[in-house]
Amino acid sequence: MAPSTTVADPQPSSTTDSFDSNAAAENDIRIPKLFSLCAAFDTCLVFFVAAIFVLHKASPGSKSTATVKSKRRIESPSPKIAKKSEIESAEEEDGQFFSTLRLRVFETVWSKIDKTIQDVLRDSNSKVFSGIRDWICESFESIRSSGALSLSEAVRSYPVLSQPSSKQLFTALVLTSKNLEMVDDLLTFEDLGLHLKSQGCHVAKLSSMDFSAKNGVGGCLRGLLRQFVMPTVDVADVTILASWYRESGNHKNPVVIIVDDTERCSGSVLSEFILLLSEWAVKVPIFLIMGVSTAHDAPRKILSANALQRLCATKFTLSSPAERMDAVLEAVFLKPCSGFTVSHKVALFMRSYFLCQDGTLTSFVKTLKIACLQHFSLEPLSIMLEHFCQDNQLPGEGTGLLTEATMKHAFDLPSVTRNKITRSTCEMLPQFLLDLQRMPNPWSIVVLCIYEAGKFDKLRLLDVFCETLDPEARYLKYFSPSSILNSQSNVSGRNSVIRRILRKLRKHASRSNSKLEKELKAMTDKISAVIEFMLREYMKPVETVPFNEILCFKNVDKLQSALLGDPRGRIQSDLLESHSILNCLCCSQRGTTLLPSMHDTSILYALAQEHADVINLHDWYQSFKTILIPRNSKAKSKSKTTSKSKKRKERCEEPEPPAEASIQAVMELQIAGLIRMPSKRRPDFVQRVAFKQEDQFIRQDQ
Amino acid sequence: MSRLKKHMTREENSKVTRRSARFSSSVTPDNPEPNPSHQPTVADLTFGEESITLDALLSSFPGRRSQILDLIRLIGPLDSPALPVMVYGDASTGKTSVALQVFRHLNRPFVYSSCRTCCSPRILFESILNQLLLHSKCSSNGYASAKRCDKPSDFVNLLKEALSSVVETLNSTKPERKPMGKMVYLIVDHVDLIKEWDKGTMILQFLFSLYSVLKMPQLGIILISGLPPDVYYSNVGYTDPLPVYFPEYSEEELRQIFLKNQANKKLYSAFLDVVLRPFCRVTRRVEELSTSLTSLFRKYCEPLDDLTISPNEDLKRRLYSNLKPHITSCLNEIFRISSRPLDGDSRGERRQKASYSSEKGEELEMLDFHMSTSAKYLLIAAFLASRNPATLDASMFDSTGGMDNRKRKRKASEKSMEKKEMAEQEAVMKGPGSFPLERLLAIFQCIASVGDSSFGEEEDEEGEDEATGYDKESKNMMSDILLQVSSLCDANFIIKSGSCPLEGSIRYRSMVSEDLSLKVARSLSFPLSKYLYRR
Repeated sequence: MAPSTTVADPQPSSTTDSFDSNAAAENDIRIPKLFSLCAAFDTCLVFFVAAIFVLHKASPGSKSTATVKSKRRIESPSPKIAKKSEIESAEEEDGQFFSTLRLRVFETVWSKIDKTIQDVLRDSNSKVFSGIRDWICESFESIRSSGALSLSEAVRSYPVLSQPSSKQLFTALVLTSKNLEMVDDLLTFEDLGLHLKSQGCHVAKLSSMDFSAKNGVGGCLRGLLRQFVMPTVDVADVTILASWYRESGNHKNPVVIIVDDTERCSGSVLSEFILLLSEWAVKVPIFLIMGVSTAHDAPRKILSANALQRLCATKFTLSSPAERMDAVLEAVFLKPCSGFTVSHKVALFMRSYFLCQDGTLTSFVKTLKIACLQHFSLEPLSIMLEHFCQDNQLPGEGTGLLTEATMKHAFDLPSVTRNKITRSTCEMLPQFLLDLQRMPNPWSIVVLCIYEAGKFDKLRLLDVFCETLDPEARYLKYFSPSSILNSQSNVSGRNSVIRRILRKLRKHASRSNSKLEKELKAMTDKISAVIEFMLREYMKPVETVPFNEILCFKNVDKLQSALLGDPRGRIQSDLLESHSILNCLCCSQRGTTLLPSMHDTSILYALAQEHADVINLHDWYQSFKTILIPRNSKAKSKSKTTSKSKKRKERCEEPEPPAEASIQAVMELQIAGLIRMPSKRRPDFVQRVAFKQEDQFIRQDQ
Repeated sequence: MSRLKKHMTREENSKVTRRSARFSSSVTPDNPEPNPSHQPTVADLTFGEESITLDALLSSFPGRRSQILDLIRLIGPLDSPALPVMVYGDASTGKTSVALQVFRHLNRPFVYSSCRTCCSPRILFESILNQLLLHSKCSSNGYASAKRCDKPSDFVNLLKEALSSVVETLNSTKPERKPMGKMVYLIVDHVDLIKEWDKGTMILQFLFSLYSVLKMPQLGIILISGLPPDVYYSNVGYTDPLPVYFPEYSEEELRQIFLKNQANKKLYSAFLDVVLRPFCRVTRRVEELSTSLTSLFRKYCEPLDDLTISPNEDLKRRLYSNLKPHITSCLNEIFRISSRPLDGDSRGERRQKASYSSEKGEELEMLDFHMSTSAKYLLIAAFLASRNPATLDASMFDSTGGMDNRKRKRKASEKSMEKKEMAEQEAVMKGPGSFPLERLLAIFQCIASVGDSSFGEEEDEEGEDEATGYDKESKNMMSDILLQVSSLCDANFIIKSGSCPLEGSIRYRSMVSEDLSLKVARSLSFPLSKYLYRR
């Protein structure tokens, strides 16, 4: 996350409070009275708004550099910003007041979205959780019914001699959303543990850290005992577990051990652990819950045969990331939630990020949060979202915040100018806002209808959602009978999922002509009529509605740069262009030549560009020296240093300024991962780690 | 709820104190109540339950007659010193059960410690001492051991003390059931596991020489091991323990074992007639057999309403034909894994069947878990880097994107057949090759760009595939590749395979099977086979 400087700054709280009370007072006043009251309120607010305008309208460039800077973590006072803050310090203070307000609105909006997402995820898991609980209860009952052990039997060291099958360890393989990445499921197992605990089970959670080859079985057993018995246990002895289990009613409940990332565990340790527990399975009925993130045969790959045959496994499957994604999308964007929404381009970006890059819901939520935060930091009118967020209020009241300047801004919005709405139609504003609030509702219903129709094709809501946001789509054209005949000619929507669905629906309708069922035909006709009507009337993407900028986040570039930092490429390009960050006067006039005043590391890196994969340290150092020390004063230097180790020795004797600087710089390059240390075979050479291809890549980007 | 629990425990406690008052002088092991304030006595050192006769002992272990008699002979008559004994044999041949039941028959005091449960010398020593000192861990003593003991030398001293006190009590108490004797036996199970401990050989030597070091005839030692005694001997001047070998069960013996506790012996023996022979060829471990036979027998009985009938020939035949299709799959299971998703009831079995059929057909087609596109490309790149020799990379991934390397491949495959076979065998022996990270990333860059371009071409033909428009963007989205590499490593798809002795950098190795990588390639519609170097 890259919070913008304006939003993140701490604020004086007194002004916020006073404004809050004002806003609260205004909420009770109806629309007609609104503007007169506003006028009075305006005079004191104009000043603040002007400031925020300057911040956002006049200097978008300075703002972007500020965000980039915080990402680079290279702190340097930008003269531009410094100058500005001198002149407009007073105004900025007022602007900060507004940004506090926006931050507050952001927090309410985001907390609402966040809560919705959490609820959706919890719902998606609850079924599996109760399934696991039932399974534990049933198996535990069956164990208990097979006969109870006496105390002396239960705690003694030798095994209870009974059926060989009694060594079986009940195991649940929980397929964690079948995702390669574990991130989404860390909390799931936390929740599962809490859920089972609330049902009375003794729950311990072990992770792959406990099953490391270094600590062996003792390590995980100790972790187990510390969670069950008491935190000070330091002897990994199972008999402690057995004695504890027999004490004070503990034996009325099953013991559950959750291992959340089975694939990452050391196979031998886990096998040993399973064998050990199975020896004691009669005395302490243990239920093992193993999270498996790839396929259900994953334990087969890591466990030994002996351990495998002790497992009596049952499979539980959590919902897949795509399913969860659809559920989250539906709850956040298509059901009334916060009012916040994203544009077509942003949705496409988020979709491709999900599919191509990360594939975890966690990162999707993170993306959404960044988008939301940036929306609030970039769009002054976004404060009105607060009123969209609360269902019971009319959006018109939000216009109480519209000052003269924000009004001007509002009517400069592209969606407004495009629709030829001018200041003269100002009185219509509440109507527009009301439309804006109501609009997403029928639209989302149509989207859900299409999704419902597409379910037979295993269509994802994510795809439907992305397409329906497209402001340039012509859905009716897809649906018209003629488009089916010459569908190939329609190039623009060739890969449209919606077109596919609509075509299928239409086909269905036409096919039923030949059939005998008149009723069915009549019904499909009706359906197509309804769909046609819906598409014509309601299929208006949010970007076509005036004032949509209040709700809709559009700046896909900002989101991309915030999300994909590309730190390696950044480091390399910044090293080559260090003067543009340092903003020093001495280097500003340099063209392609290297100046001694430049930063040592960046000189060395620029020199390294001239070499191939391996760099001769001697040559490198010599060229570095010629840049630092002009030719005439070079007579002073006498010894040539070849390898770095030699240099180190020399440093103790008589430190030569360029040598020391070069050591420092080489070290920095090494830490940045750009070069690799000389190997034993070729002590005079360092290796460049960065790729040629990657270098070209970065240069193209710039 | 909690109040109820408290109430119940209080009730239990009061009951228990009443009982324990009555039993305090002679604790009968068959105490049915869980007894929190249970004070162990010397009598607890014997095998809790009623002692059994020799006949009962022999009949309860079919095929173990000579071993039982050997063991009894080696342990010797009451109160006579015995040399250390080593019981060895394959897993699941009844070593532990026989040893314990022999002591139940003899009704002599013993101490049992398993090296599986006690996973370090300290725990092993302390567990032996705890039992000898009649110490039980509970919350009141903080689950601590009676004595802290880390070193073998300490153990010897503490053991001497504990033994003499135990022998003293044994001398003074009058046993109510006759043979109790004045000796204590030490049974150490799973001795072979000690080899895996750090300083394991030292502990092993100590254990073997314990008898001669201790010089106390009151202690008999019995070691139980999965490995034969030759493995341990190292000519260090201690008396070798006397070996007793437990061979694998024969088929007939297995039949007797499985018939022992069956309700309907005739039906079960008909079942065993069918099943036991093929299974015996795979494994003779009772444990493995019993798990798969139980589930198989359940299936065998499925068509029957009345489980008490004795089957005639006709019924047997019908039952067999019903069972036949399941046998082979179960055989495979033993070999590989028994952790098939089972629900325990018929519902689960149906699901199991479904998963079997799907494994053959559908699962080949599709990948059944989620991966991001770049992770998929990385997986393929790693697979290629492991499979192909590094020298071929340049020709495979040249600027033309490997489009014309079909000819090259053909040229390569025109080598003589023997050479090819040799190379193939070599490849099998070597397994997947290792590669540096740089090579992985380079291949990744190449195939990701080629994959994108070939995407477009195939699109024209099919016209139905999704995700084309977005993949163009994906090109400049390849930033956190290293993160993806690490998550692939976490999922065991790629493993770090030590460092190269020459360069000193970490090398990686792809662990995915060709099937999986083909599946992944298919989901991307990436022409993987075009890039694979076939010898």
